[in-house]
Amino acid sequence: MRVILKTRPREKPRIPIEAEEIIPQNFLRKNDMKVFEGNKERTLEDLFFVTIEGPAVSPDQVEVVLTGNTGMIKRVGEYMNAGRIIIEGDIGMHCGNFMSAGEIIIRGNADAWLGREMRGGRILCEGNASHYCAAGYRGEKRGMRGGIMEVKGNAGDFTAEYLSGGDVIIHGNCGDLPGVEMRGGTLVIGGECARPCGNMTGGTCMVFGKAQRVLPTFRSNGSQDMDYAGKRYRMNLFRGDVANRGKGTLMIRA
Amino acid sequence: MPGILIRNAFVIDPLSGVKGEVMDIAIRDGKIVEEASTDAVVIDAARCLTLPGGIDSHSHVCGTKVNFGRYMSPEDMRAGRTARKGVMHVTSGYSVPTTFGNSYRYSTMGYTTILEGAMAPLEARHTHEEFTATPHQDMLANTLFDGNWSIMEAVKEKDVKRAAAVVAWTLSAVKGFAIKLTNPGGTEAWGWGGDVNSIHDQVPHFGVTPAEIIGTMIQANELLNLPHSVHLHCNNLGVPGNYQTTLETIGLVPDLNRDRQSLYLTHVQFHSYGGSTWRDICSKSEDVARAVNNTPQVVMDMGQIMFGRTTTMTADGPMEFKLYMLHHNKWSNHDVELETGSGITPVYYGRKSLVNCVMWSIGLELALLAKNPWQCLLSTDNPNGAPFVKYPEIIALLMSRRFRENERKMIDPRTEHFVPLFAIERELDWYEIAVMTRAAQAKALGITRIGKGYLAPGAEADVAIFPLKPDEIDPSVDYQQVMAGFSRTRYTIKRGRVVARDGEVVVEGANSTIWTRANVPPAYDMSSDPEFTKKFEQYYTVRMRNYPVQDIYLPRGVRIDTEASL
Ligand SMILES: [Zn+2]
Repeated sequence: MRVILKTRPREKPRIPIEAEEIIPQNFLRKNDMKVFEGNKERTLEDLFFVTIEGPAVSPDQVEVVLTGNTGMIKRVGEYMNAGRIIIEGDIGMHCGNFMSAGEIIIRGNADAWLGREMRGGRILCEGNASHYCAAGYRGEKRGMRGGIMEVKGNAGDFTAEYLSGGDVIIHGNCGDLPGVEMRGGTLVIGGECARPCGNMTGGTCMVFGKAQRVLPTFRSNGSQDMDYAGKRYRMNLFRGDVANRGKGTLMIRA
Repeated sequence: MPGILIRNAFVIDPLSGVKGEVMDIAIRDGKIVEEASTDAVVIDAARCLTLPGGIDSHSHVCGTKVNFGRYMSPEDMRAGRTARKGVMHVTSGYSVPTTFGNSYRYSTMGYTTILEGAMAPLEARHTHEEFTATPHQDMLANTLFDGNWSIMEAVKEKDVKRAAAVVAWTLSAVKGFAIKLTNPGGTEAWGWGGDVNSIHDQVPHFGVTPAEIIGTMIQANELLNLPHSVHLHCNNLGVPGNYQTTLETIGLVPDLNRDRQSLYLTHVQFHSYGGSTWRDICSKSEDVARAVNNTPQVVMDMGQIMFGRTTTMTADGPMEFKLYMLHHNKWSNHDVELETGSGITPVYYGRKSLVNCVMWSIGLELALLAKNPWQCLLSTDNPNGAPFVKYPEIIALLMSRRFRENERKMIDPRTEHFVPLFAIERELDWYEIAVMTRAAQAKALGITRIGKGYLAPGAEADVAIFPLKPDEIDPSVDYQQVMAGFSRTRYTIKRGRVVARDGEVVVEGANSTIWTRANVPPAYDMSSDPEFTKKFEQYYTVRMRNYPVQDIYLPRGVRIDTEASL
């Protein structure tokens, strides 16, 4: 089954839409899905032209396509556990948080909190992701716990904060404090970043660009050659964060 | 108001000597009366269990410490969310819910009065503001004196009367109810990075010992004729082998009051550990319960822990630091000028942790081994041992050996080698539960004088009707029903009004705050004592005249006046 949601023109297009109901499994059972526009409850049809093509018996067979002016739609794919969501343009905040399986593909940019505390599945963002990509919610000791997050562009500050499992791959640059409080999993940064991995206790972070202001609480552990994605790199190794009795690994291209 | 007539109630009212009789209760103008007015609203209780409104004599629900627990645990606010509905405010949180969350949940469990376990005097305004936002319960505040400089100086000079005078001034300034000592001397020592390890250790700079502080304060409390006794959180909380400290402390207590205990020991579960490390920690509940059984002048509350996540918070700063070092979780530490301190850290009590299983057993053992239910009150030191919503489960565990045996299969199998719990056959009955959850609290707090804790004519009309028919169910078998029944009253009546019904809150509520003023002769009025005022101006960050809590903070204050014997 393919569900196409094309945004209708709105009088005030900057008012955010809260759409946690937009997940593949809901299109099998529900026909009265509700979304909020600001503080007003709306039906899906109020805000989208909805086209449904073909049948499906399980959520894995459902593909949801969002097109149009999608940059202000929040919480798409929250708690999703199967199927696929394709966003043709940009997407709003909290996309794919707590997702446990399935796939989200974003052709444009993602706003903050992309895939927060995700447990499994895969998110691919072809543009840039904003702050707190693949991070944890405030107060929680474990952020993303499993699955794959891949961003082709850049990501903002606090990327993969509290990462405790799964893989986060940022092809471009990261902002300040990526991998802060990391306790497991793998974070790969293709470009530059600043102050990586403060307070980390476990997991591995690789930085292939320049790392600004590396914290003094990382202990140098020599250097070694490493193969990654078919290429060989010389990497400087660090252990830390010593300030937190951490046993994480930070690798920065020499 | 037309009043209420409750018909066919299966009443247990220990303070009035009613041990389970089917009778009617008449309510008018917020009081229990002999006869209802002709236009009274009739509630058919259908032989359901009907008790005086529940009283929690030690819980942390309001004040800066609780609020900081909320601050530092935004993840806790994801649980327990309810939307605004009718008269109900929005609520959220599990171990440190919003004030309305606390109030509504207590209310639907039949609780109408709560004592906040620890109020820092300097920060009393905030506590009172949160009391006002806990609308379904009358509130009382234990006031912290454990590290009070003026008190310790009076103790050093062996001047009981001066200590009493400082207490009298402070209680009336901050609108507090009773004296709380939390790890006396230890929290002050923590200001210098230390602690006290026994009741005979000296507090740095003051040269007094916890034993002296406790002894002096018990005397001072009786000189002021306060309704409640000294409320003590013993030294060495949570330390393996600390039962010795607890026994020594119980041994100190003189019998000074005919109407109630002379010392209230709180969350005794945390103070009944044998062994010397976390590896060989074991239960010493038998020793502690024996001491309590032989010392009628003390009363304790359980401080039961229940499995799951919660937040610990206490004025015992050094103890919270030890917990932090154990778990490396987030932690807050706070110093309150010349008075006290506090610490907060979240914890998880797991069935797979032998230490936690031993702790879980000890609380239950204390309740089962205390011969006199008036001496052992039900509590979790909410939320330190568990959020109070676990009370019904604790009641069911105490009433059903079968339930305990079922739990035994779920916990660490080594537990039984360290605790006597599973050899104890006793199952508490409805009457004993009624004592441990309301009557004994009213007596221990000394608030029967304002009509709390009983249902005879003249009492406040605080009533809880539970969907439980004691003549039809056997709690030792139907423990699930007991748990469900105590979780949700059919009716909770507060001061003559139905406030909650079948788990739904039906009125906005308007509580009162109960506080104490001990009237002292002018010679003992600290507001004109040169040394006291000088210390105040010298060391406090606030001026003395700005310190007292103004009446506006207590929209419905109820003052208990006592005449000091000074
Ligand atoms: Zn407490």
